[in-house]
Amino acid sequence: MFEIIRKTLRTGSQTINYPQEPDEAPPGFRGKPELFQSRCTCCGECVSVCPPSVIWLKEENGEKTLTISYCGCIFCGRCEEVCPHGAIKLTQEYELASKTKDDLLARIGWRS
Amino acid sequence: MNIENIDMIRKEFKSLILNETVSHNELYLTVKKDVAVKLCDYIYHHFDAPLISMFATDERKIEGSFKVHYVFSFDREDAFIIIKIDVDEKSPYFKSITHRIPAASWYEREIQDMFGLVPQGHPDPRRLINFEDWPDGVYPLRKDFDISTKPPRVKGEYAYRRVEGEGVYEIPVGPVHAGVIEPGHFRFSVAGEPIINLEIRHFYTHKGVEKLFERLSLDKAVFLAERISGDNSVAHAVAFCQALEKIAGVDVPLRARYTRVILCELERLYNHLGDIAGIATDVAYGFGAAHANKLKEEILQLNERVTGSRMLRGMNAAGGVRRDIGDKKDEILLTLARFQRDFRELIELIFSTSSVMDRIETTGHIYTDTAKGLHVVGPAGRASGMDRDTRRDHPYAAYDELNFKVPAMKSGDVFARTKIRSDEVAESIGLIEQALWSLPEGDIRAEIRKIPDGYALGYSEAPRGEVIYWVNIKENRIERCKVRDPSFCNWLAIEYAVLDNIVPDFPIINKSLSLSYSGNDM
Repeated sequence: MFEIIRKTLRTGSQTINYPQEPDEAPPGFRGKPELFQSRCTCCGECVSVCPPSVIWLKEENGEKTLTISYCGCIFCGRCEEVCPHGAIKLTQEYELASKTKDDLLARIGWRS
Repeated sequence: MNIENIDMIRKEFKSLILNETVSHNELYLTVKKDVAVKLCDYIYHHFDAPLISMFATDERKIEGSFKVHYVFSFDREDAFIIIKIDVDEKSPYFKSITHRIPAASWYEREIQDMFGLVPQGHPDPRRLINFEDWPDGVYPLRKDFDISTKPPRVKGEYAYRRVEGEGVYEIPVGPVHAGVIEPGHFRFSVAGEPIINLEIRHFYTHKGVEKLFERLSLDKAVFLAERISGDNSVAHAVAFCQALEKIAGVDVPLRARYTRVILCELERLYNHLGDIAGIATDVAYGFGAAHANKLKEEILQLNERVTGSRMLRGMNAAGGVRRDIGDKKDEILLTLARFQRDFRELIELIFSTSSVMDRIETTGHIYTDTAKGLHVVGPAGRASGMDRDTRRDHPYAAYDELNFKVPAMKSGDVFARTKIRSDEVAESIGLIEQALWSLPEGDIRAEIRKIPDGYALGYSEAPRGEVIYWVNIKENRIERCKVRDPSFCNWLAIEYAVLDNIVPDFPIINKSLSLSYSGNDM
C-alpha cells in the first residue's frame, strides 16, 4: 500500500488540458498534406503513387484541378516524396474532423 | 542451404521427388500429391520441424494446375523446406495432413474455402472463412474470381459442436463485444462455473487482403502490409520488404538494418505494455493498469517524435527505411532510461500483489504438447515451453550482430505469459540501446528499380510471434502474397487454455494470449 501511494505521488498528474490548450504535434509528424499551387506543375506524379488513390487530376472545359481527399489519406507521405517541385507537404496538423466530406477535400486549379 | 541430414530425406524419398530447387535458405521439393502426407509427416516428426505456413496458388494459366505448399522451418539450421504438390482442377482433392500435424487444420480449411481444393479426410471439414450464406463453387482466391464480384446470398446454417448432458449450459458471447474491439463469436459449454468446452467462430470481417495484394504495385503493397494488423505494423512491413529484397537480391544497407531493429523493438515495447495493462485491468488492478498504460503512451509519443507516427508507420520500404533516425539517438536513450526505471518498479509491484497473483497463477494453462501441436507462437508459445524466436532462429535485419536472450518458461499459465512479456521488455530496451550505440554510418536505403520474377519467404518476430510472408512476383507486380499472422496460429489455443477454468477468468486468459482479430481474418 505504501509503495502504491509513493509511486502515485511521484508520478503526479499526467493528463494535459486538451483541447482547451493546444497539443502540438512534434516536428516531422506526418499530418495533413498541404498543396501549394504556385509550385505545382500538374505532372501527376503524386496521383500515380498514392496508395489509397485519394489524389485526382481532372481536366474539364480547359480547367485543370488537382484534388486531394483527407478522408482516405493514410499519411504515408509518398506524394511529398515523389513531388519534383515540393508542391505537396505533410504538415503537423492533425485535427481533421469535419461535418461534411466536402470539407475534407482540398483543391488547386488552373485555367489554360 | 545447410540442413543436417537432408540426404536422409533424399535417400528416403529419392524416386518420389520430382523436382528440387534451392533459393537462399529455402529448399523447394515437388512431389506427387499422394506422397505429401508421408513426406510432411517424416519431416515434421523426424526433424522436429514445425509447419509454419501452408497455402495454395492458382497456377492453372501457367502450369495447368493449382499448387499446395507446405512450409517447414528448420530452426537450428536457419533453413526452410517447402513441399509442393500439384492439384488438378478436374480432381480438386488432396489428402489432409491434419491427423498427423494438427497445426494444418485451419490452413487446410482456408484452402478449401479460398481455392475450392478439398482436403480429404480432414477431421473438421466445415467452412472456416466463407460463411454459410456464401454460395457453393465461388472461390475468392482463384484467378478467375474478379475482386468486384458480389455473389448472391444463400441460405445455410453453421453447425456448432454440442456438449449435452444434465446441467450443461451454453453461453454464446459475441460477435458484438462490450469493448470497441473486432467481432468474434465464442460459444462456451459450462457445467456450473467451469468451462467444459469452448468453440470459437471468427472471420466475420474478411477483407480479402491477399486478393488485394494481387496485381498491386510493389511500393503501394508495403503500405497494405503495414495495415494488416494495426499494432504489429512494423513486423508486417519488415517481413514483406524482406521477401521483396530477397527476390531482388539486394543487400540492405547496415544502417537500415539497425534502424529496423530499433523500430521492431519499439513496437514490441508498446505492445507488451498494452498487454500487461490489459491483464491488470482484467484482474481489477486499476493502479497497475493505469501505470502500464501511461508507460505505453510514453513509447507511443516517443514513436511519434522519432518517426512521425505513433504506430511507427511509413518507415519501411523495399530496400531499407525511409527516414533516418540517427539524430534522435539521445532522445530515445533518455526516454528509455526513465521508462526502464518506472517499468521495473511497476512490474515488481504487480508481481508482489497477491490479488493479482491469485488470479494469474495456474490460470489458462496451455500444455507444451498442445502448444507444439497447434504451433503456438510468440510469447504465448515461449511461456509453454516452445523455445522459438525468429530473431534468433532465422536472424533478419541486424539481430545476428546484437546480444539478447530469449526468455522461455514451461508453466504455460497467464503468469508465465505475463512474465515472458516483462522479461522481453528488458531485452528490447537492451537491443535498442545496443543498436543505437553501434548504429553504422551510411545509406538507409538501397535502390530497387525492378524486381525480377521470383518468389521468396519473408519473416519477422512480431510482438505476438512470427509473421510469415510468401511473395511471388511477376512482371514487377504481385502474383500471390500469402500472409500468416501469429494470431492465425494462436487463436485455437484459447479453446484449450480455458478448459476447466471458470467463466470470469476467460477475459484474462484471452488478454494474456493477446490475439488479433484483424491479423487472423484478413
